[in-house]
Amino acid sequence: MNTRKPVAAALAIVGYIVMLVPILFVVATAFTSGSTLRFPPEGLSFQWFDAALSYAPFTGALLTSLQLAVASTFLALAVGVPATLAIYRGALPGKGLVEGLFLSPLIIPELVVGLALYQQLIITFRVDNWPVLLLGHTALLLPYAVRVTGAALAGSDVSLEEAARGLGASPLRTFFTITLPILRPGIFSAALLGFITSFNNVPLSLLLQSRESRTLPITMLDYVQQSYDPMIAATSTLILAATVVIAVIAERTVGFAKIFGGINR
Amino acid sequence: MTRRGTFALLLLPGLAFLTFGFLAPAMGILFAAPGTDASEIFIRLGEMLTDPYDLRIIGRTVGLGLIVTAVCLALGFPIAYILARSTSRWGGVLLALAIFPLLLSNVVRTFGWLVILGSNGALGQLLVHFGITETPPQMLYTPFAIVMGLTQLFLPLAIIACYSAVSQVDAGLDDAARGLGASRGRTFWDVVVPLSMPGVVVAATLVFAGSVTAYTTPYLLGGSRQRLLSTELYSYSSVTVDWASASATAIVMTILVVLVSTVAARIGRKGATA
Repeated sequence: MNTRKPVAAALAIVGYIVMLVPILFVVATAFTSGSTLRFPPEGLSFQWFDAALSYAPFTGALLTSLQLAVASTFLALAVGVPATLAIYRGALPGKGLVEGLFLSPLIIPELVVGLALYQQLIITFRVDNWPVLLLGHTALLLPYAVRVTGAALAGSDVSLEEAARGLGASPLRTFFTITLPILRPGIFSAALLGFITSFNNVPLSLLLQSRESRTLPITMLDYVQQSYDPMIAATSTLILAATVVIAVIAERTVGFAKIFGGINR
Repeated sequence: MTRRGTFALLLLPGLAFLTFGFLAPAMGILFAAPGTDASEIFIRLGEMLTDPYDLRIIGRTVGLGLIVTAVCLALGFPIAYILARSTSRWGGVLLALAIFPLLLSNVVRTFGWLVILGSNGALGQLLVHFGITETPPQMLYTPFAIVMGLTQLFLPLAIIACYSAVSQVDAGLDDAARGLGASRGRTFWDVVVPLSMPGVVVAATLVFAGSVTAYTTPYLLGGSRQRLLSTELYSYSSVTVDWASASATAIVMTILVVLVSTVAARIGRKGATA
């Protein structure tokens, strides 16, 4: 860090401490041999990892979270990618309006979307929790799918597709040989981002949960409320390790900057 | 079928999803909460904007949001500036470290503060150890805890938004200002900051909107004493089952976020054309 800007450097160090040190404390606490969140930890052991991995509510919730994240990511892409094509290649009237509509779930607070789905679908129309959770998560991921794959499409040259069509390729052939390869990095980024967003989501899962469909973050929040032991730290550390793996894959394949550049546009 | 027709068909599944999974239910909050008349919601909304208890919650939510926004800009902009101007290979590592927390669950990130700020936590022990206080002070379940938790959560967003803005400011301008005799501080405040303003506005909007709607952090770090709009919304809908109040809270929260985003977008556009 540049030492010739002492104030900026000092603020930057404080910023990194606030962002990262709490995560380090979670990891340190996970390896304690004691039974409280006391710091410094009393000794070294893996007992809380054993406890977390054999605690049925957590393993069950992990399965729910994974199923929900995979299913909602798949649905959001299945519905979102065709929509992206229409928005960026269709030359349809009202393009801006349609795009705005697809991005609108980003503007409304997630808790509000959760409340809306809970009231209208679960209470009023008595729909089961699981389909509503899937619907809510998919709606939440749609903006990401459209924006991130749209960024890949917007950065490409339309004339490639026109040339293929002009040379006699069918629309389907043009799609599979030209458009899809252009879209591929965008689809990959959107899938990664969608999976993580759904897996980590609290507000929607909180309001739409039932005993049979409770995700891991919600189960962890419940657990912290009842007991205050290092098992949550161990579970968190395992999630952290998995997230690091995903981050490395993201960085190696498409690059962080590309993925996040797509959202903040 | 015409080309346009095909493209319009491609939109249909997405539009159906948005209509049934988002737009129609969202409208229902206003007009069709279960067993509740629309008028009850609007009466409750009116009460909320006059009742001291509700106003205190709205005030606390907005106040904490503003503090977190200010802190995130004060810490995030310098980080973005250093990263954008860095030529060393550590710049990339530091940028990745700033973005990585965005991928990590809010529950995991917030839980760290329980370990640090709790009664047997690290910070309390440290204060006692150095003789600053005799017993660890109450830090958990205070506004301070919420500000720390939310700052940790939203600082990466502030950094990314500021970073892309600062990167677009030509480093040659810094050199020119310095060459013409401006001090380091003056170059920063008179050249870099004004030119990065659109990014700062985006950062402020993202952080503020995130802070006033966050649930996990106030729930874990605020406890029952530091109630915010988000924790109230949950307890109205799932604990007391008071639909009129839940809807009214949701409306206040939505208006707050939409209002701030719209104003910020205006400012951003003006900044871009000025």
